[in-house]
Amino acid sequence: MAGVIAQTDPTFVEVAEVWVPEEGRLVLAGGSYGALDAFAETSRGTSFGRGEGLPGKAWAEARPVVLKGFDGSYFRRTEAAKAAGLTSAVAVPVFAGSAFKAVLVVLCGDGPERIGAIEVWEERDGVLHLDDGYYGAARHFEWVSQHTQFPKGQGLVGGVWAARTPILMRDLGSGYRFVRAESAGKAGLTTGLGLPVPAPGGKTYVLTLLSALGTPIARRFEIWDARAARVGAAREAILIDGICAREGALWDDEDERRTTAWKGVVGRVLGSGVPAVETNEQAAHGYSSVVALPIHQGGELSHVVAWYC
Amino acid sequence: MPKEKLVIVGAGMASGRLLEHLFEAEPDRFEVTVFNAEPRGCYNRIMLSPVLSGEKSWSEIVTHDDAWYAAKGVTCRFGEKVVAIDRARKTVSGERGEVPYDRLVIATGSSPFIIPVPGRDLPGVVSYRDLDDTNAMIEACKPGARAVVIGGGLLGLEAAAGLRLRGMEVTVLHLSGHLMERQIDASAGYLLKQDLERRGIDVRLKASTAEILGEGRVEGVRLIDDTEIPADLVVMAVGIRPSTALAAAATLEVGRGILVDAQMRSATDPEVFALGECVEFEGAVFGLVAPLYDQAKVLAKTLLGEDDTFVLRELSTKLKVTGCDLFSAGDFAEGEGREDVVFRDPARGVYKRLVIEGDRLIGAVMYGDTADGGWFHGLIKDRADVSEMRETLIFGPAFQGGEPLDPTAAVAALQPEAEICGCNGVCKGSIVEAIGAGATDLGAVRAKTKASASCGTCTGLVEQILAVTMGGDYAAPKAQPVCGCTDITHEDLRRLIKAQELKSQPAVWQELGWRTPNGCHVCRPAVNYYLLADWPLDYTDDPQSRFVNERNHANIQKDGSYSVMPRMWGGITTPDELRAIADAADRYGVPTVKVTGGQRIDLLGVKKEDLPAIWGDLNAAGMVSGHGYTKGLRTVKTCVGTDWCRFGTQDSTGLGIRLEKMLWGSWTPHKVKLGVSGCPRNCAEATCKDVGIICVDSGFEIGVSGAAGMDVKEVERLAKVATEDEVVEWVVAFVQLYREHAKYLDRPYKWTAKVGMDWVRETLADAATRADLNHRFAISQSVYQRDPWAERTEEQQKRRYLPLADLTLEAAE
Amino acid sequence: MTRDMGWIDIGALDDVPLRGARLVKSRAGCIAVFRTGENEVFATSNTCLHRGGPLSEGIVHDRKVTCPLHNHVYSLETGEVQGADSGRIATYPIRIENGRLLLEAAAIAKADAA
Repeated sequence: MAGVIAQTDPTFVEVAEVWVPEEGRLVLAGGSYGALDAFAETSRGTSFGRGEGLPGKAWAEARPVVLKGFDGSYFRRTEAAKAAGLTSAVAVPVFAGSAFKAVLVVLCGDGPERIGAIEVWEERDGVLHLDDGYYGAARHFEWVSQHTQFPKGQGLVGGVWAARTPILMRDLGSGYRFVRAESAGKAGLTTGLGLPVPAPGGKTYVLTLLSALGTPIARRFEIWDARAARVGAAREAILIDGICAREGALWDDEDERRTTAWKGVVGRVLGSGVPAVETNEQAAHGYSSVVALPIHQGGELSHVVAWYC
Repeated sequence: MPKEKLVIVGAGMASGRLLEHLFEAEPDRFEVTVFNAEPRGCYNRIMLSPVLSGEKSWSEIVTHDDAWYAAKGVTCRFGEKVVAIDRARKTVSGERGEVPYDRLVIATGSSPFIIPVPGRDLPGVVSYRDLDDTNAMIEACKPGARAVVIGGGLLGLEAAAGLRLRGMEVTVLHLSGHLMERQIDASAGYLLKQDLERRGIDVRLKASTAEILGEGRVEGVRLIDDTEIPADLVVMAVGIRPSTALAAAATLEVGRGILVDAQMRSATDPEVFALGECVEFEGAVFGLVAPLYDQAKVLAKTLLGEDDTFVLRELSTKLKVTGCDLFSAGDFAEGEGREDVVFRDPARGVYKRLVIEGDRLIGAVMYGDTADGGWFHGLIKDRADVSEMRETLIFGPAFQGGEPLDPTAAVAALQPEAEICGCNGVCKGSIVEAIGAGATDLGAVRAKTKASASCGTCTGLVEQILAVTMGGDYAAPKAQPVCGCTDITHEDLRRLIKAQELKSQPAVWQELGWRTPNGCHVCRPAVNYYLLADWPLDYTDDPQSRFVNERNHANIQKDGSYSVMPRMWGGITTPDELRAIADAADRYGVPTVKVTGGQRIDLLGVKKEDLPAIWGDLNAAGMVSGHGYTKGLRTVKTCVGTDWCRFGTQDSTGLGIRLEKMLWGSWTPHKVKLGVSGCPRNCAEATCKDVGIICVDSGFEIGVSGAAGMDVKEVERLAKVATEDEVVEWVVAFVQLYREHAKYLDRPYKWTAKVGMDWVRETLADAATRADLNHRFAISQSVYQRDPWAERTEEQQKRRYLPLADLTLEAAE
Repeated sequence: MTRDMGWIDIGALDDVPLRGARLVKSRAGCIAVFRTGENEVFATSNTCLHRGGPLSEGIVHDRKVTCPLHNHVYSLETGEVQGADSGRIATYPIRIENGRLLLEAAAIAKADAA
């Protein structure tokens, strides 16, 4: 599978953390901070009220929030972030219907070599527009994305929106006509994970993680289908798609892989309905960390997406 | 001992699986040569669709790469076509030379069927079979480019979804009335179509391709109804057929495919075997992968000298379109002595149907919830006795007590913006809000929102919303449902068809949770009427949902013969018309000629097979159908008015003719009869008609909702107007209001009694409302004001009136 | 019309409308040929037991037909009257082969003799 996802050192995302509500405030439930010990320490000592800081804002506004540049913003850990070289963040709230479950926050650094994209798309007038996104040094691709709209069913973004399911796309730029392929190809983007982020009131956002060879967002992606309509009444999930730099394709159309609630990181998300970040190498299939994010639709946990790096 | 020389023609999935079995059992027994016309080895062909969509990469679906073949010592002659097989000399000749065999396996697969229309050879027309086709399609995917996929089967729909995800504008043309008709039924087909349309794919059913257009390259597709659809790419996915030319040239016996026995040995030559999509076994040919793998296993055993037997098994189908959950297995399309179990959950878009024969499950179709598909498929394959669990079978293996079908499911599934009360424009969301704010009974909801406060036909729906929102705290009164297929009343059905924009019968059955696969003789005509009345441009009238009279456009008599009645506008006729009627009566031996109460001449006792001919004769004399058999406008009875009568105050005959010319051909909930009298002496008996006009010196009095049948009732006054134009405007508005609101088979007097004459008057008093009603009536008439006689005298239509076959002649030989 | 191994080709499946019926005349009497919503075909006597209504003119729903005259409902599989009434009309073996409708000759002949 070399060529689709490479195993290299630098990563696009530096920090991933999960904030959960506890007595009306958001507290840190887990995180992957790499070597950024000081920032980790600061985070552990922080909590957010509804509307406070980035996690509190995602909670209050019930929508994913992209923040580029912390100075003078509502971001609360600016000093620590600066010291750690972090410049941007994306916060994704997790709702089960109208019940708020958690906020996942990822933080990224800057640098000319950092290529990738974390985007939030929003529906307006039946078409998906870019709400905001963090692209690192992929400036041209950022510009193209700001000037692209997706009708339902088209491209990764329109596909996720219309099919109401996470989608993992390969070869974003290499000879294939992805809607933004040319620019994606020039930027070196290869693999794209798109997932619906349902918000209370029936509104759905689409979050995409577009990963490049040089600075991958992840080296392993998994999509688990947990809908009762697919797996039955038991709290289980089926691995419907996945790709790994080491193991290659993770899907098998003849022999589906299943997991059950509370088994492994994905199982824990399945059981709790709350995202998880794990830095245990065994749990992370030999990678240094794994992020697993649940998607709740129509009153049930419908999917879990996981990415490892 | 020298190795046995095994030559395999074809490197598809069955061929790959065969080699795996052989090398696993005896790695050194065979010296294998594999020919393949494609310049590559074996890959997972059924995963081409996700490669097309970009959801898989090519490298992920290669199952046997060059290194694998090399490691097994297989001589690969890929990209080389086989020219001939010489069975006498036991050699195979490729384009680059000959190779001897001890045993030969033909696995040439299948080729796409190309429909024989002009333009099929144009560049830009592709089939969908292999990687090259897939790449050709991907190449064509430029943003904004248009693709037309011909064929709404498994392959065509996967191609359409892939091309759409790649950013193309995609239209699917499908010949049949629903998608994938070989694998799923109309209800599942409806949900599938809806799913694809949500992705922005344009699906056209009953679409027959006449020609592929283009100068030098494809530019579009023309259908037989002359619709033209622009296209930069046309994908033909109408089916496949076994590739048998090579085998046939080698004088192997070929039917639809190469004939083989249960050991995969050719019927002709014991050293020649066939495998995969190119074979025919016990009359069956193969397109899905499961039986091909079974064949590969059997053939491996046969080649290894072991015993095994290939048997036909019930297959299951899945569609590889991300987000479409569809499953079908077994046989639900043919046979006798069967029982259906249907489960629908409109809110979740779920449809499940099981077909049980005797004590066995023989077929299953499911959409939206396929979790139990594998289990059902197992029961079908194993021919398991399901009599013990019959009642709860549809709930699957995890059944625990089961959930009863919820009669309010359809209402629960409504979107907040769905309009519940058409009179006052109140949507579900507002009602739910009002309930939340403390309006916990019908009266309070009415007071707060005005919902059901006018005509009242949505009362049932408002009560159901109360029930759904308040749960067990509210007990809705039980109302009379349409029929045993549903718990919904006629009034609710009408509102829901409008509120949910249901535009087909399968849409109604699914979204409103019908308990039967396709309705019954009670609900089908009603649903058909409601759909054609509400969606004249979108819905196509279904003759098979009409009572015999409307289907055959003539009244069936008790002896099975029919009556024929030409229209006489306002009761006026001419000597020529009378002569033509007399001639027709003679020619077709009409036993009875009767003048009717509606001022028409009725010919009774016409044989069905004579109908098109007698209509043709009357048509030729300038007459059209009198619609004496319809729930629609019947007659406008007039008196002679000012032309002749010394009491006449207005031109009642002229007005009657004008009204009849305006209204004829329209379908209504029940029959509609008009009368126009020139003075209050009322010779046209206008005061007991559905709509009656009395002319007076100062203008016209319009009365409605009279009756002179089982009930006798005088008309109620609707309005008094000054001009003929106003009469027409008011009458059309009234008829259209009746068409849009009344319960099927309620005459106007019954309907107005339910909604209240005050509401009718109030509604029609508004000039803008009358104008809207007139406009909508005109749209409907643009579709339905057609003479059925003229249409049914065409050759194609005529045949429907003849017996399908007459075996009395045959038997007499 | 061709005869083949005891089955008589009476026409194409497509000649019978979906959820509809056509009439076949035979010396055994008139036979109604039905096509259900699922493309199954059935053949029964065309004559309603009640007042002789032509069943080929009835509404076809599920695997049943409703007589156009007075709404008596028959199972197309067994010929049994449904609901409160009782009685049974004749049914005839029929099958689809390559889009053609084949009616069993022997069954008609038997009825013929009877």
